[in-house]
Amino acid sequence: MSRFVVRRVFEIMVVLAIMSLVIYALIGLMPGDPVNVMIASNPHLTPADAARLKALYGLDKPLLERYAAWAAAALHGDFGYSRLYARPTLAVLLPRLGNTALLMGASFALTLALAWPMGVLAARRPGSWLDDVANFASFATISMPSFWLALMLILVFAVQLGWLPPGGATTIGAGGVADRADHLVLPVITLTLVNFGPHLRYMRAAMIDTLNHDYIRTARAKGAGEARILTRHALRNALIPLITVVALSFGSLFSGALVTETMFAYPGMGKLIYDAVLGNDYNLALAGLLFATLMTLLANFAADLAYAAADPRIAYR
Amino acid sequence: MRRALVVLLCLLLPAAARAAERADELSIGISQFPATLNPLIDPMVAKSYVLGMVRRPLTTYDADWKLVCMLCETLPSFANGLAQKFTLPDGKTGVRLTYTLKADARWDDGTPVTTDDVIFSWQVGRNPQTGVAEAELYRRMVDVKAIDARTFTVTLDRLTFDYAALNDFEILPARLERAAFARPVEYRIRSRYDTDPTARGLYDGPYRIIEVSPGSHIVLERNPAWGGPRPYFRRIVVWAVENTASLEANLLAGGLDMVPGELGLPLDEALAFAQRHANEFQIIYKPGLEYEHIDLNLDDPILADVRVRQALLYAIDRNAISQTLFSGRDPVADSFVSPLDWIYTPDVPRYAHDPAKAKALLETAGWHATGNAVRHNAAGQRLVLTLATTSGNRSRELVEQVLQSQWRDIGVQVRLKNQPARVLFGDTMTKRKFQMAMFAWFSAPEDVPRSELRSNEIPSPANSWSGENFVGWRDVEADHLMDAIETELDRPKRAALWRQLEALYAEQLPALPLFFKADPFILPKWLAGVTPTGHEYPSTLWIDQWHAVGRGAEARAQ
Amino acid sequence: MSALVQPRVRFGGGVLLVLTIAVLSTPFLAQALGAHADTVDLYHRLAGPSLRHPLGTDELGRDLLLRLLEGGRVSLLVGITAALAAAVLGTGIGLLAGYFGGRLDAALMRLTDGIIALPLLPLLVVLAAADLHKLGVPAALRDSDAMSLYRIIALVTLVGWTTVARLVRGTTLSLRRQDFVRAAEALGASHRRIMLVHILPNLATPIIVATSLAVGEIILLESVLSFLGLGVAPPLASWGNMLTGAEETIALAPMLAVYPGLLIFLTVMACNLLGDGLQQALDPRQRR
Repeated sequence: MSRFVVRRVFEIMVVLAIMSLVIYALIGLMPGDPVNVMIASNPHLTPADAARLKALYGLDKPLLERYAAWAAAALHGDFGYSRLYARPTLAVLLPRLGNTALLMGASFALTLALAWPMGVLAARRPGSWLDDVANFASFATISMPSFWLALMLILVFAVQLGWLPPGGATTIGAGGVADRADHLVLPVITLTLVNFGPHLRYMRAAMIDTLNHDYIRTARAKGAGEARILTRHALRNALIPLITVVALSFGSLFSGALVTETMFAYPGMGKLIYDAVLGNDYNLALAGLLFATLMTLLANFAADLAYAAADPRIAYR
Repeated sequence: MRRALVVLLCLLLPAAARAAERADELSIGISQFPATLNPLIDPMVAKSYVLGMVRRPLTTYDADWKLVCMLCETLPSFANGLAQKFTLPDGKTGVRLTYTLKADARWDDGTPVTTDDVIFSWQVGRNPQTGVAEAELYRRMVDVKAIDARTFTVTLDRLTFDYAALNDFEILPARLERAAFARPVEYRIRSRYDTDPTARGLYDGPYRIIEVSPGSHIVLERNPAWGGPRPYFRRIVVWAVENTASLEANLLAGGLDMVPGELGLPLDEALAFAQRHANEFQIIYKPGLEYEHIDLNLDDPILADVRVRQALLYAIDRNAISQTLFSGRDPVADSFVSPLDWIYTPDVPRYAHDPAKAKALLETAGWHATGNAVRHNAAGQRLVLTLATTSGNRSRELVEQVLQSQWRDIGVQVRLKNQPARVLFGDTMTKRKFQMAMFAWFSAPEDVPRSELRSNEIPSPANSWSGENFVGWRDVEADHLMDAIETELDRPKRAALWRQLEALYAEQLPALPLFFKADPFILPKWLAGVTPTGHEYPSTLWIDQWHAVGRGAEARAQ
Repeated sequence: MSALVQPRVRFGGGVLLVLTIAVLSTPFLAQALGAHADTVDLYHRLAGPSLRHPLGTDELGRDLLLRLLEGGRVSLLVGITAALAAAVLGTGIGLLAGYFGGRLDAALMRLTDGIIALPLLPLLVVLAAADLHKLGVPAALRDSDAMSLYRIIALVTLVGWTTVARLVRGTTLSLRRQDFVRAAEALGASHRRIMLVHILPNLATPIIVATSLAVGEIILLESVLSFLGLGVAPPLASWGNMLTGAEETIALAPMLAVYPGLLIFLTVMACNLLGDGLQQALDPRQRR
């Protein structure tokens, strides 16, 4: 087992290293550089100024040399300076990470809290009206564009009814838990609804599968109550393949968070990455994307470990 | 149950109640947080807005676009003898100016602003390693000498009509910044303005900074050492809110008192906001010096013909666009000179919306049309052009599409190609890889557009793509006029030269003039004294005159 | 075919058919209304429904109905083209993985799972912002009107092939063990021949099912990227980029924000229903 762990950790690091070079190269494909923007919008800058500023910011060296410098620093924990925010990259990134974690965590919990019970109930009586409702709900939410859902929610609850704020994380001059909760309501609802469909369907499929097994029939024959059968026998076994599903959905949860954060101007990592890429802030975009990749890889890894722990038939070597 | 509801309601509506109590506080919302607070590095509107509250320049342009003294006592001029012609070692004529700092000019730790600071600041500014963005002025200042603790002379290497304007000369506190300048190349990282912005002694304006929360807000309070009239507000908080919908929401909720025009809501959003909430706020639209225009690449064979350029301008209805999309707030431009600038003259060729005339001009230029199709010339080439502008700018995208439609009506097919600002300015414009490009210049009053229009400022491989004459205008007369204007000290004579230059520009059309953009200021009804300037020097330079009228006025008597 | 009896197939297919017909009839509608999708009319901005403009006008006075249909044309075009391209790519990969098995299979499946697991949107944002000049795209292509279309199709294909690959691989694995394949091997047929002549034709079902499921995914992806300003660029209308501006006029003209999104929703739902229905009808093992 420990060999497995070591091997996976090694694999994760290799993937990260490859991704960092790929992303660095991609960002290097972006045209222009910030100094030129400064020049064109300021009539007083002369060409000598431009050359001077470029050299100062180190923008005149070739790509691989810059990557090597970045990588060397990164291994020491120095992810460089963010040009957009004029602060060390990590100082910009970490608070936003917290915001995104809050958003993703709250919505994920709500997603599972809604999807799993519905999936279980639908699986009990396939073809019933409850099942139809569940299926329709899952189809509808899978097909819905997340940004449109966000727009509709803003339209109804923020613009027309004025019950909730249209964006941001806090109200200026106020603060506190109630205010933050206020600002989280619409983003969390958006993210939850968008991710809810697949989890409902997987739970339903897994439960139906499990419920067809012999040991369920045995339990029924022995006179066990329906509820007990569902929870004690079926659910525990159905959860095992679902662990993989949950882990794989991490990546799409993050993508959904990017759109949601941009729509609601929520200061999280998704929006940060978007702003950094469009603002040509190499260091920040690189660090942000790497963090996102790392989190995804760790989620998968955790899922594998949980899978092994949950299913005694699996043993990793 | 009812109690819970009441508690809930109380939690949800705190902001409005709180705002009313803070009678001597002001919350300002801006759309970007300054990346740095160092006055020399990185020209940014957000930075100059905030620094306008806490620092004073030597001279500046006021809201009437006149040059005034801020830290100095008198503006040097030949009439009062404080300005004298000076022959430089190489024979050219420069000018020597004498300035005296105001007696009550003090840093916020109580120490006076002295010529020590002036000389130190000059040394920092002209050192090439410091990273100063606008080094041109410092290069022109060939010599700075102290006469006494408050008086000094500046020698400039050329005599231009705006000789007394040292607006971009930033005076730094020598005592505090000398340590950071010990290694000039590290100055921009070690300057106390960024490493320790709340330190005492960095600010000589009506306010000083007491708290900086990067990315979020900056808190300011009255500067006890300020010698001018005591500012009304005890405490000011500047919030950076990137999302304009949030800016609006916070305005309505009362968390923000005002959103300034320098960097607040875009005009079309402000207009929409005004439609819904005009009764609750005072909204000022200040047309300014942001000249929105379309640069035309004069080296393109199609655009090289002046008749084509004029036709393009006749074909578009700028009035209608201004009226419908911008509620008439953006005045139509006839040349690069704003109608509010004293050198403006209406005596230039004007191009009213006249599609018939446009079509006639194109015919004369050899572009023929069959029916509604795209025109073609004798060689069979189609009249197709490309228009680029900055992507992500909603109102520009809308204007583009209107123009495209109006040009289609005269048989010109225009393709739209939008790029992010950094691409457009960094690559496309600089290397002149465009046909038509729509963007804005932001300038100062009576600013000679040397780098944009002079023939020696055309970017090319030979000069490493420097200069901003992207259109490639090579007009001998225009060059002469620009040179003459710069050195003409007599106002009426200069005005005549400006008139000639404007007329030439409007006739030759190296660019299509569109509008001068207006900045919307959204202010609470009780706020008075805010004077939008309309140019690059912000309204906060007069923040000591802002005050509240009829809003708990008793509470502030302290 | 039993497939057509399925209610999902009928509903999904029906909606798509109606949409396609509507989109194809745009020129006639334009003539009837006497306008184009990009005829600007500044003095009638944000107007409500009327005889001349059945759904009203947008922020530049353009007819909303025509814009929606134009957007539909682009979205469907991108969706179908990218789905076909993704199908080809995915089939290739899935076939190779399932046929050769072993380490190639493991590597390819690792790649597939890797792509599914990654946070795609941030990476697509980076890709979409890349400079085409630095990538070596020739100038004529770069400056053409349709460049943003080609770019979005390429991007979406790059990540959309995974569904097809997995389904194809699964089917290939089981087909591989069947007798007719063993017979062909015994007769000395080359790998290529077996894959192309024997296995590929039997993959029709999973390919069709996976492609119809992929179309929905792809339309959603394109609309998000266009909404963020990284996909189809104006003046080409796409449902996604019609929503970009709607955010700002949402208080004044809410319907501008409702219609394009509603159409995306209906179209994607139709695709998903169609795909799901086909899967149930054509793939007996998947029946639930």
